[in-house]
Amino acid sequence: MRIHTNNNAFVLTAACVLILTSGIVGLGQDAPAPAGQQGQQGQQGQRGQGQRGGQRGPAAPAAPTPRRPDGKPWIGSVPGQQPGRWNGGPTTLPLNMLDKIPFQPWARAVYDQRQIDQFEPHTRCKASGVSRQFSTPYGTEFVDVPDLQRIYIMDMGGPNSYRIIYMDGRSHPANLTPTNYGHSIGHWEGDTLVVETIGLNEKFWIDTRGTPHTEKLKFTERFTRTDMNTLQYQATIEDPGAYTAPWTTTVFSMRWAPNVDPFEYVCQDNNHGPELMLGSQSEIDNTKFFVP
Amino acid sequence: MKHVVFGLSLAVLLLCAVTSVSGQHTLAAKFDLTKQLSLKGTVTQIDWSNPYVHIIMKVPGNPRPVIWAVELESAILLTKNGWKEADLLLGESITVQGFAARDGSKQISGNSVVRASNGKKVYSGTNGTLPAHAVASGPVPRWPSGQPRLGPPAGQTGYWGNPSRTSLLQDGAKMEMDAYGLLKNIADADKVAPMQKWARDLYEYRQRNFLKDDPMYLACKPPGGPRQFEQIYGFQFVENPDFNRIFVLLGGGNRNRRVIYTDGRPQVGQINGDADNPLYYGRSVSHWEGDTLSVDTKGFNEKFWFDNGGLPHTEQLHLIEKFTRTDMKTMKYEVTIDDPGAYTKTWTSNWTFEWIPGEETPYFLCQDNRP
Repeated sequence: MRIHTNNNAFVLTAACVLILTSGIVGLGQDAPAPAGQQGQQGQQGQRGQGQRGGQRGPAAPAAPTPRRPDGKPWIGSVPGQQPGRWNGGPTTLPLNMLDKIPFQPWARAVYDQRQIDQFEPHTRCKASGVSRQFSTPYGTEFVDVPDLQRIYIMDMGGPNSYRIIYMDGRSHPANLTPTNYGHSIGHWEGDTLVVETIGLNEKFWIDTRGTPHTEKLKFTERFTRTDMNTLQYQATIEDPGAYTAPWTTTVFSMRWAPNVDPFEYVCQDNNHGPELMLGSQSEIDNTKFFVP
Repeated sequence: MKHVVFGLSLAVLLLCAVTSVSGQHTLAAKFDLTKQLSLKGTVTQIDWSNPYVHIIMKVPGNPRPVIWAVELESAILLTKNGWKEADLLLGESITVQGFAARDGSKQISGNSVVRASNGKKVYSGTNGTLPAHAVASGPVPRWPSGQPRLGPPAGQTGYWGNPSRTSLLQDGAKMEMDAYGLLKNIADADKVAPMQKWARDLYEYRQRNFLKDDPMYLACKPPGGPRQFEQIYGFQFVENPDFNRIFVLLGGGNRNRRVIYTDGRPQVGQINGDADNPLYYGRSVSHWEGDTLSVDTKGFNEKFWFDNGGLPHTEQLHLIEKFTRTDMKTMKYEVTIDDPGAYTKTWTSNWTFEWIPGEETPYFLCQDNRP
């Protein structure tokens, strides 16, 4: 039997609804993994609200934070070892602090509506930047290329694309055209990689729960590899379009999955909602998008 | 419909020949090149996105106004030509000339958009080519080991663009084919590649339909195989010697990534065997032959077109791709296509890419203008 499960967008949606309505967790078991990954996927899983994966099965051997020759941490795979990736990123940025978030009224209303209507752009194969990259059950590989002064972030569970973090000290260009990944610049503060992103459009969600944002968003991420197997993640949301003040998430923790090559996962492979991407164009009016 | 003028002229066909290849579909796949329209109206909405910028305009009509969509170049090409969204304002009066949509929907190709306020063209196209850019020069950049660098020199930026071919054609064959890969004379189909009968028939069907069934156009499926190197928005090589691999990061097509391993690992199948999970980009292993990177790829699925022009392939497709950087500016690409499922013999094609220095790979997402 041939297995074509590269895209689990539909399954993911269904699974999200399940999680929301019944508190069932364990997406790693509910969603079939891409065929090339089934061996390892069974060992992952999901525990708790707002974080996925990496908390079940044998942990990778404990070891101190791996460091580059210049003393900075390797944020991703370590030369001399097989590549690996991070699992269990945040899925709910307001975790444990929903009532403290300085929503503007419209933004709170949108957030509440999205808890009922899970119509996330990610399920229609939109590329999803910033924290949403870490929310799929398939993990995220950081490709640190000091030679080019860049870090590439490749989420395994999306439209098979990539985000670039410039590490060369450049600043954001003026007049950015908003995009799904925005413009990310990073620098080190001690052992913490600080990444600031602007130029984000509103065509994706920043987490699976639909925490709203606008094009005014400045999204700051702090990554700290506290040991070989742990990557702490904290985000600060500064968006005068949706919030009355900046706010900072709790600290999330991602787990290292060793010895796994990146794999091909093409969201469009098995899109169960093609009409959502294509539309049926019988009439043109201002309420419809024009496709393709 | 008194504001709509239908016309047919030879000029129409000439226009066709210089129209952009920036987007997903051939012009003829969506628009009827024999139905030229001229519309006057006011701008009600501008959708500044890829693969096509759209102007939404209200055209006076009886009993009520009609809303039309005007399809233009990609946001990338308009931006590179100096246009920005704010160069046209909501409420402005414009005159649009172009072709009507085949399906009768209120869509027009924006071959010319003229502002009533000053009589000048706005958002004008580029004939599908990248506008002026810096030209690279100098010898092949190399790693300390002496091996050529396929990507930028350390600390620099740039990408590979301007492919000299944008559709496959077997070496030695000569015929007229446009930038989309559409043949001028369908009778030339036999010379394009040594196709088996079924493959030739399918190719002709796709050609006769102006490639309208292209999965990349219809559903944003990836451009696997040689097609990833036929896109005008180019690609980048990110060499990652720490892990014996090279990433191909696409600008055009779908902003996808592909991995090529360089550690001499064998060409092994998927965990459950190739037949269980064939891929869009296949499994790629490689080795160096002097200054040439030779890449061996198998394990493709059949859910995409591996060529802009619509040449078929099967899951038996096996590619040998050779990349040779001959100087800073130039990369030679030679591909050997071995697919006993679709072709009568192994065949080859080749073209070159140009290094575009100092620029980032264009940011193109096929899904951008879809809901």
